[in-house]
Amino acid sequence: MEPIFRKIRVQIDWTLLLVIMAIVAVGLINLYSASRTAVPGMFTHQIYGLILGFSAFLVITTIDYRLYNQYGYLIYGLGIATLVLVLFVGRTVKGSTRWIGFGPLQIQPSELMKVVMAIALAKYLHNDPTPEGRTLKQMAAPFALVALPVALILKQPDLGTGMLVLLMFFSVMLFTKLKLRSLLTLISTGAVILPLTWSLLLKGYQKRRILAFLDPSADPTGAGWHLRQSIYAIGSGRILGKGFLQGTQHQFQFLPEHWTDFPFSVWAEEWGFIGGIILLGLYLFLVLWSIRLAANAKDRFGALLCLGIGSMFFWHVVINIGMVTGLLPVVGVTLPLFSYGRSSVLTFMLGAGLLMSVASRRYWD
Amino acid sequence: MSLGKQQTDFGKRFKYLMWIVVAIFAIMVARLFQLQIVEGATYQRKAENNFLHKSIIAPVRGLIEDRNGKVLVHNRPSYNVYIIPRFFTEKSYAKLRSLLKLDDEQIHHIEKRIIAAQGEQRYFSLPAVRDIDRNQLAILETNLAQLSGVRLVAETKRIYPYGPLAAHVLGYLNEVSAGEVKRLKGYHEGDRIGRYGVERRWEFYLRGIPGLERYVVDARGRKKSEAIQRRLLGSVKKRRFDPRPGYNLVLTLDADVQKIVERALRWHRSGAAVVVQVNTGRILAMASKPSFDPNMLSGRLSREQARKLYDNPYHPMLDKVLQGSYFPGSTYKVIPAVAALEERLVDPSEIIYCKGYIEFGKASKFRCSHVHGPVNLHYAIVRSCNVFFYRMAERIGMDRMARYARDFGLGTPTGLGLNSETGGFIPTKAWYNKNMPGGFRIGNTLNSGVGQGNVLVTPLQLAMVYAAIANGGKLYLPQIVDRIETPDGQVVQDFPQKIRRRVQVSPKTLNIIRSALHEVINDPLGTAYDARIPGIDASGKTGTAQVAKRGMSAKNRSDWWRFMDHAWFASYAPTSHPQIVVVVLIEHGGSAARVAAPVALKIIRDYFALMKSRGH
Repeated sequence: MEPIFRKIRVQIDWTLLLVIMAIVAVGLINLYSASRTAVPGMFTHQIYGLILGFSAFLVITTIDYRLYNQYGYLIYGLGIATLVLVLFVGRTVKGSTRWIGFGPLQIQPSELMKVVMAIALAKYLHNDPTPEGRTLKQMAAPFALVALPVALILKQPDLGTGMLVLLMFFSVMLFTKLKLRSLLTLISTGAVILPLTWSLLLKGYQKRRILAFLDPSADPTGAGWHLRQSIYAIGSGRILGKGFLQGTQHQFQFLPEHWTDFPFSVWAEEWGFIGGIILLGLYLFLVLWSIRLAANAKDRFGALLCLGIGSMFFWHVVINIGMVTGLLPVVGVTLPLFSYGRSSVLTFMLGAGLLMSVASRRYWD
Repeated sequence: MSLGKQQTDFGKRFKYLMWIVVAIFAIMVARLFQLQIVEGATYQRKAENNFLHKSIIAPVRGLIEDRNGKVLVHNRPSYNVYIIPRFFTEKSYAKLRSLLKLDDEQIHHIEKRIIAAQGEQRYFSLPAVRDIDRNQLAILETNLAQLSGVRLVAETKRIYPYGPLAAHVLGYLNEVSAGEVKRLKGYHEGDRIGRYGVERRWEFYLRGIPGLERYVVDARGRKKSEAIQRRLLGSVKKRRFDPRPGYNLVLTLDADVQKIVERALRWHRSGAAVVVQVNTGRILAMASKPSFDPNMLSGRLSREQARKLYDNPYHPMLDKVLQGSYFPGSTYKVIPAVAALEERLVDPSEIIYCKGYIEFGKASKFRCSHVHGPVNLHYAIVRSCNVFFYRMAERIGMDRMARYARDFGLGTPTGLGLNSETGGFIPTKAWYNKNMPGGFRIGNTLNSGVGQGNVLVTPLQLAMVYAAIANGGKLYLPQIVDRIETPDGQVVQDFPQKIRRRVQVSPKTLNIIRSALHEVINDPLGTAYDARIPGIDASGKTGTAQVAKRGMSAKNRSDWWRFMDHAWFASYAPTSHPQIVVVVLIEHGGSAARVAAPVALKIIRDYFALMKSRGH
């Protein structure tokens, strides 16, 4: 009797569910407006994506997260395998080979890799605690763990996702403590690698985007165009916004492809500063809540998994909003559960599922 | 947010992490505050600039009519292709090129224009191809959906139905330059502006006031629905200001007289003629040869056409009636004649002997055209004796003669106010002392007495001099515009005849001179006797203006004509009650009597025939 009873003591974290649902709802409202000028059917597609994502969420939630710990490296292996597969059979769009077809479903494995990475990293650190701080040597193994998928992702190329995986990795590693010396070494290595990346790894359009960020007015119709139009959209929303379906910047197509990377601009144009604050508030709450879940987790794996997923949400929000408001260069990073795109929705729903899985089992003994 | 019960060994790091997250979100909120609240108004304006398209609606330019209501310049509907650089893409450019089969010059023109458009100008429509034909219009209309940033605008084209007739008076239009767009208020890239003649002088009245339409476009330059227009820009009244058509100009010109004049000039390559009413100062006809076709100049000149026009040695772009200054030659002799009579320096009966030249100093010989023998003032004019007028000039003196010349309006522009009229030149002693190496010499006075040396006049100035002689000394302000009317015919401004001044000359003096001018044509000894037309009652004076012979050589025969003298004839008719003054100048025409006088007399003959046929 006892084991079965234990399993029923699953507690649903209603707060987490509510925040997720609120962001999804707001995102749908916004997509309805943003997709009016796009190819028809985008809105229904997103709803299908959400249904798929929610199903995945339910499945992930029901499974005890310790199972993910157990099979962590297997999952990691599968993730790497699909990334390799993409290199050979992936579909190429606009010069990047990112997509792979599962039946009717087109998925970006690089997106899903973020969640896989969170699991793998949590597993590694769960088994290898170093309370007095990690030396560089001790960093080597986890770094190899992350370097392999990052290299594969940059090969596609998908700069945004590659960078995101790295950011998640460093966020978690820093949290688990580094020796001061290791930290300094890392920073100085970064200073060397960055210019090298610029000259060797980045493609022309990526360089142009970053340059355009540094001086958006220099090239008004080129790469800076998106950014300027995004800032006009956000700024012209002012306090209360122009109203639902009334945003001129996207309705008249001055802000191109606003449903994938620039949905926040649409939102801020139509709902103003107030709307922007509400959305940022929801994201902030979600990130803080995942930290709280991490703090309350029963074991290191659970805590680090929540942190990994939390950092995924956090960096997506910061980089996306940073780029649309002109604080950061334009890189293709989606806004969680707000941007159009099935892979993106699925990734965040899986992430949310993992959070819920940990949350539901925090009172176990 | 309370952290609850912590079960792992990460200590206070969760708390710190939360504060870091909160701080970074605070930065984003601050950025939103900056963009939406602090700078919100600026970005609102920029967002509006995106969708707000301002389209200038060209006003219909006023008509130009002659004194009888004959339309000399009008407009016809035409379709122009405009591009909005901001929305103009490579694809639509390629499409436009192939649909219209644009030539290299047109392509160059369009590209230059697109490159020149910067900043706000990129949102304006710029004219790319003007006046496309029906077929091209149909082709473009059916393909407009694929021509992003291309607009078809129904406008008007300026038409000069008589072509080169009175071209220098009417003038022409062309597009404002980039510099003018900056300098002139109310002109935009691609607008047309009067460049010559009355089109230029009366630009302000003819042009009208442009209208403006503001409308909402999307990123591809497509006009949005009426509902969106109303929501974002308000009612039609607020969005569209209709253009006001320009005023019509009624000229003093008579198209039929103008035709008579240009027909009379048709065998001559280069010259000028002007017909002025003796008792009003109004110009009936004014022609400068060679002429140009304003229809061609108002379009875009091809390089070939421009070269032909500007390399022409006869200078078609020069209005010789107003801008050409020439030695008046013997036509000038009326000035020393008036001066000598008024100053009582000569008695009408005094006889001077002409041996064909006079000697002055050691080496200077001042020649006459013939050996005239004994001549009095009357015959000196009739037979155009230089020797007599050398003597007169000597008696009058340089500066006194200049005073009389100026009194007749020479040396300053007549005040017609057209085509940067020149004032000719009347020299004085002081001028020679200042500008000539040897200073003033008596020979300068002698040359002035026969309209050579440094005396320069324009055909119009000379016409006004002879009009004053014909009408008893009234120096009129020449006029070319009779009145300005609104499109529905209300007079905005009219120009009553105006006497500049009464010339200091007695009726007695004028009678002596007028009878001599009559005999120039009617006395068998008169210089223009051979050109007379029986039944035509006219008076006049020939003039052969010597041209500098410098550079003339036997080797250089291809441009021999350059060294031919200019032929003048200044006349009025009828003798007893003069109505019109006619001045003809044939550049490098040679003999005045053989070349210029017949032209002038033909004009006079045809003019009176025309008046008779009209029932005057």
